[in-house]
Amino acid sequence: MNRTRLLAGLAGVVTASVLAVTGCSASSSTAASSKSGPVPLVVYSAQGYDKAETQAFTKATGIPVKLDDNSTGPLLTQIEASKNNPDWGLLWVDGDTAFAGLDSAGMLLKGFEPSVSWNSLGSGVVPKDKSYVPTGVTLAGAIAYNKSKLKTPPSSWQQLTGPQFKGKVGMDDPSQSGPTFPLIAGVMNNLGGVSGGESYFSKLKSNGLVIHPTNGPTLQALTSGQINVALVQSSAAVGAISTSKQIGVEYLKPVTELPSAIGINAHAPAQVQAEAKKFASYVLSPAGQKVMQSGDPTGDSLYYPVVSGTKPLKALPPLPTSVTQTIDPYKWGTQEGTVNNWFDSHVVR
Amino acid sequence: MTVLAPVRRQAARSSRVLPAFGMPLFWILLAAFILVPCACFLLLAVSPRLFDQGSQWFTLTYLQQSLTGATAVAITNSLWVSAAAAVVGVAFGFPVAWLAARTTMPGRHLVGGGMWLALLLPSWLPSLGWERLVQPDGVMYRAGLDWPWMTHLIMGPFGVTLLLGLRCVPFSYLAISAALGGLGQEFEDAARTHGASRTQALRLIIPILAPAIMSALAIGFAESISDFGVASTLAYNSNFSLATYQLYAAIGNFPPSFPLAAGMAWLLVAAVAIPLALQARALRGRSYEVLSGRTRQAVRRHLRPAGATVTSASTALFFGVMLGVPAFGAVSGSLLGDYGSSFTLTLANYRALFAQPDMLAPLERSGVYALIAASVTVVIGFTAARLLSAKRRTAATGTLDFLLLASVALPSVVFGAGYIFAYNLPIMSTLHIDLYQTVQLLVIAYIASSLPTNARVLSGSVSQLQPSLKDAARAHGAGEIVAWARGVLPVVSRPILMAWLYTFCGVFLELPLSQLLYAPSEPPASIAIEDNLSNYHFGVGMAQSVFAVAIAFAAVGVALGAYRLLAPAGWRRIGGTIRG
Repeated sequence: MNRTRLLAGLAGVVTASVLAVTGCSASSSTAASSKSGPVPLVVYSAQGYDKAETQAFTKATGIPVKLDDNSTGPLLTQIEASKNNPDWGLLWVDGDTAFAGLDSAGMLLKGFEPSVSWNSLGSGVVPKDKSYVPTGVTLAGAIAYNKSKLKTPPSSWQQLTGPQFKGKVGMDDPSQSGPTFPLIAGVMNNLGGVSGGESYFSKLKSNGLVIHPTNGPTLQALTSGQINVALVQSSAAVGAISTSKQIGVEYLKPVTELPSAIGINAHAPAQVQAEAKKFASYVLSPAGQKVMQSGDPTGDSLYYPVVSGTKPLKALPPLPTSVTQTIDPYKWGTQEGTVNNWFDSHVVR
Repeated sequence: MTVLAPVRRQAARSSRVLPAFGMPLFWILLAAFILVPCACFLLLAVSPRLFDQGSQWFTLTYLQQSLTGATAVAITNSLWVSAAAAVVGVAFGFPVAWLAARTTMPGRHLVGGGMWLALLLPSWLPSLGWERLVQPDGVMYRAGLDWPWMTHLIMGPFGVTLLLGLRCVPFSYLAISAALGGLGQEFEDAARTHGASRTQALRLIIPILAPAIMSALAIGFAESISDFGVASTLAYNSNFSLATYQLYAAIGNFPPSFPLAAGMAWLLVAAVAIPLALQARALRGRSYEVLSGRTRQAVRRHLRPAGATVTSASTALFFGVMLGVPAFGAVSGSLLGDYGSSFTLTLANYRALFAQPDMLAPLERSGVYALIAASVTVVIGFTAARLLSAKRRTAATGTLDFLLLASVALPSVVFGAGYIFAYNLPIMSTLHIDLYQTVQLLVIAYIASSLPTNARVLSGSVSQLQPSLKDAARAHGAGEIVAWARGVLPVVSRPILMAWLYTFCGVFLELPLSQLLYAPSEPPASIAIEDNLSNYHFGVGMAQSVFAVAIAFAAVGVALGAYRLLAPAGWRRIGGTIRG
């Protein structure tokens, strides 16, 4: 009995303190919501320059931002898990297929387009229903190769299935790396559909395709000599050149355009949506573009701009327009789950 | 005396008031922070509609899917690998604990620190080190050792089991050394007095250590089956699928399949239930109360020169494998500025790391979170361990046992998703309980996820406590709290410190829960590291990992040093040894 009383006492002290903490949370959020003026804009982002951009936005507009900086996977998991009571204001990640999927599920605000002058690259990736706003373009499936091991880089996708590349080609896992599904979808699109793509990736698998979770480990495998060719996002490949001079970058025909984009939560309060629109407009303004290009100069800042008047960083090679393709994000976005599942069970395993 | 009297009266009043609401509140909080999130997630498997994750109000489809194809293979792999890893953990952990606690082995003072360092390391770090050594064109091949058999051995089931097993060793060491500390010399002396050989004396001692051994096996199995670090690195790159990775893939895919992940979670809970149930059954109704105020200091066995050389060399080799390989992985990742294409060492990554603005803020934040979470977890964990180790099994202790085992079985990523489902329901907003994406909910989740292992680590020592410890203090007029503080705390202070440190270190670098629950704009250390790793700053991320681990290890050193300097000599004497 005494022991029980003592345990109860200990538990009481602890639980009372935890309750006090949680109580503070509830009361503080209530107090916050009763204030007038701008409300915090919750930004879900996987961009390397997002911290710099959100700070610059707050400085320019006075709107406070709460930044959830995460990989694309956890962000989409959070959005899906919280969809019956979403708290995010806007999502900013690479890959319009994910946005098309969210749009198809009715989770994005439609009909908003910032008042900007798109260049030809930008106007080509603005969705018809204006449910998301492109902010830049990189390329899915750039060829990063080890120049010390490979004097002549591959010149076609089919070459990668040949004996000279046996066990020496690597890529990321689409279930962990956001930009990898657009690469797979792009290959499938080029080969006439899902079955043609499955056949191609099965051949790559038979030829010893090496899968790593994300760009970092794949590029590390490239420089360490485990593989000679890495299929990665162009910004990762070009950025890696600044780290290792042994890396060269090429683009095979076709290489798929990979827009980064901002989508606004369709179920957010009107004030939050208005702030999110201001944010998207700021990002595409000259000031916002300057921050995007300086926020992560050896990573995500290596993008091709989508608005007139902004030039790509000098480290980027010219956009290889003769070999680029776009894919229909609405056609491929709805197939992301099934294609990734197939890839996971037939290629990754 | 005059000054102390009011204080005692106040303490007495407190000890009367707190129990009135303490225990019900304890159960309410366990239900709120463990039962509800776990139940919400598990319910998804059979009723996705409840959480807007599908159209079915009731279905068994996802449970069936969990038992077929790649998912079934992954579950099977996880089961046997985790069982083997738990055994490997005890097989290495027991002798090392005994050598360090009961012999004059040279270097024995370093063993504890080495185990803590191993415990601090994220499990993906050893995997990375091993891969760098044995992968095709890796260090082993560059060094002229053309051993493809080694590559196949490590990058396969054997290597995965070995790594998970090594991961279990610190758990076994902590559980068993804590119990060895409470096992005085009198039992060995009694056996020896009656003519028993050293081996026969061991046969007497090992059953007394059964709670600790059982705890070590159960924790090892549970930690292995819910591990994600090895599953997502070495196992993944070896095409050897484990359940946690398969579950992660179901959630990480877009759109995520939470119901399928929940179906797999059911199987993981069931899998962990088996060893824990066996543990409970084996210990039920037996007494292991050996810790008392009269516990005599054990005498260290004096090793002869040959024995000292062999044991210390073997232990050094063991630590070389356990710590040297991960250290190599971290060093090669953080000191090579060119993604590892050459062997030229540079501090470029560290310079880049310290040039980042606000570099220290996430580390400070994680330090505070870990401090709070560890302190609260140890108090609740001790309470839970006391209840779990009670001789009389009641419905309440059975429920507590199940709650803790359910949450131990669920990987953190599932736990995090469960918290979103439970604490982001529209009704919570209606009630103005907006906990999702607040520091408070993150810390609560840290506590809830640390509690099961913490309680199991403590239960080995707590089950050895004799009631006479507190009864004696009470007989001399001490109140409840004073009696506990003076009678019980001294003998369990060391295990409590160890449990606190373990939780502190685990929370300090925790990633999956943080990813889903951290308060926006207030990233903890793991998020900052992941940010660098995923944004192509691989070397900087590795440097940040090494720096964070160094900070955590420094914190362990400070805590252990403070205990040594500040704890009363009597506290340290109990569970200590003298040289024989």
